[in-house]
Amino acid sequence: MLEKIKELICNYVEVNAEDITADSRFIEDLGFNSYDFISMLGDLEGEFGVTVDETEIADVHTVGEAVKYLSSLKERQ
Amino acid sequence: MNKNEIISVADLVKKSAQKFGGKTFLKELVKGEVSEKTFGEFYTDVRKIYGYIKDKYGGEKQVHTAVIGPSSYGWLVSWFGTVCGGSTAVPLDAQLSCEDICELLVRSDTDIFCYDPRYEKMIPAVKANCPNVKEYISFAELSELLEKNVPTDFPDVPADRLAAIVYTSGTTGKSKGVMLLNSNYIDNAMCQDNESTPDDTVLSVLPIHHIYCFTCDILLSLRYGSTLCFNDSMMHIPQNLKRFAPTIMLIVPMIAETMYKQIKAAAAARPEVPVAMIAQSVFGGRLKTIYSGGAYLRPELQKAYIEMGFNMAQGYGMTECSPRISTADPADKECAGDVGVIVNGCTVKTVDGEILVKSPSVMAGYYKDETETAEALTPDGWLRTGDLGYVDEKNRVFITGRKKNLIILSNGENVSPEELENKFAEYDVVGDVLVYSEDSVITAEFFPAAEAAKNLSEAEIEEKLLEAVDRVNKTVTSAKAIRRVLIRDSEFEKTTSKKIKRRQSVQGRRIR
Repeated sequence: MLEKIKELICNYVEVNAEDITADSRFIEDLGFNSYDFISMLGDLEGEFGVTVDETEIADVHTVGEAVKYLSSLKERQ
Repeated sequence: MNKNEIISVADLVKKSAQKFGGKTFLKELVKGEVSEKTFGEFYTDVRKIYGYIKDKYGGEKQVHTAVIGPSSYGWLVSWFGTVCGGSTAVPLDAQLSCEDICELLVRSDTDIFCYDPRYEKMIPAVKANCPNVKEYISFAELSELLEKNVPTDFPDVPADRLAAIVYTSGTTGKSKGVMLLNSNYIDNAMCQDNESTPDDTVLSVLPIHHIYCFTCDILLSLRYGSTLCFNDSMMHIPQNLKRFAPTIMLIVPMIAETMYKQIKAAAAARPEVPVAMIAQSVFGGRLKTIYSGGAYLRPELQKAYIEMGFNMAQGYGMTECSPRISTADPADKECAGDVGVIVNGCTVKTVDGEILVKSPSVMAGYYKDETETAEALTPDGWLRTGDLGYVDEKNRVFITGRKKNLIILSNGENVSPEELENKFAEYDVVGDVLVYSEDSVITAEFFPAAEAAKNLSEAEIEEKLLEAVDRVNKTVTSAKAIRRVLIRDSEFEKTTSKKIKRRQSVQGRRIR
């Protein structure tokens, strides 16, 4: 899952996938604007067949937190 | 549609049904499936809501109906059912906290609160804090309500009847309730011509409570008979572009930036395919015109879209002017950094550099706030926009900054912080920048771009920022030069419309 997220991140910002870690923060470290982030969540929904609840994403700041949230969604859904 | 026959919002809804009756007005996703309503069905349902309100509250009483939620048919019929009956709607920002919702319900004297089902859990707290709200209607109950009520013909709604109280979000201060009359909405929706056709499809992605979305997506679709498609979530714009294949789209610059990145990424993956073809595919295959508003659009970005084959136009307006003051001519490819040509019926002048506007679209004032109203409107009816700028010989408007952000120097000279901030757009090292005066010293506080943070050392970033400041300083008089420079580690606090809040505590570390 982490690898797929890294691949999607590279569609939004010019970073090397190998430089992205679980601790990378989307806005501060990777340079996402807030709409980049929202749009990427839409990509992840399609990729992993889950439905993201917009009220639950306020706590997702890092790549690792995104992986954790998506994993929990997959379990729940 | 004959402009002389349209006096009120009710007239617009009625005429749209007469002219485009069986044609699809709205498409939206309901439980994953596309649901459609024709102009005729919409007219019928709006009359049913009006009938319900009339029966319950009496035909003569003007009620205030607050409406909250993402774009939906329920939102639309609640707003129009109220306004077409001569009452007043209070559209609220879907991102407001429970506390803010309560405050605005009280301040707006709301009688009926119509809400998307996702606010259900807030309702007990709202009821406890808003004793004057008489009725709560969830959009989930609307289909039952529509089944039980018969359509009631609209009364003759006078042009000067208060249609809505729209609360501004603003980057400074308390939100103000902009009073818009039926005549304001109608003037703004009818002031231009030939903007779209019944063959057009509009994908509406901006928040529905926002006046730019409301007038330009919804009222213009009713006027021109275009099909309006609601984007169900900001997460799903790419999917909905493919699903609805719009020809027209209104966006804010941030969306334009992201979509451009996606096009570039797709183009890099398939270098053999022309970029224009990839761009068209990303935007659903039929898109012709993109209108950008709400914030500053970089002329380079505008140019990039034009080169990809789109009409990319920027407009300018404010809630207080319903909102359009100037609108871009999509055929104008010059990208001169202007925000469009003044719309018909609107007069613009500048006083001490500030743009003042007079037009039938200008609000009646702020609800229950005579002090703010007197500050915004001159006795002879000019709206002080608070924006600094000028109009060129082609009637194009150029914005240089906000008056209230002006820094007054000790020598009496004025500096617009936005003018300085915009000069940093070309420097890759700069993510966000805020310019302000601290202890009478012009100060620039930077949040570095993530690319820079990733690839450069702290010392290199500081060096590059200071270099950028030196270069910008060379373009202004020495009195206007930035003398103090701060760098911060966390993003600036922003408004719900993603503008930097200007009044926030200084968090940066001083590097000069």
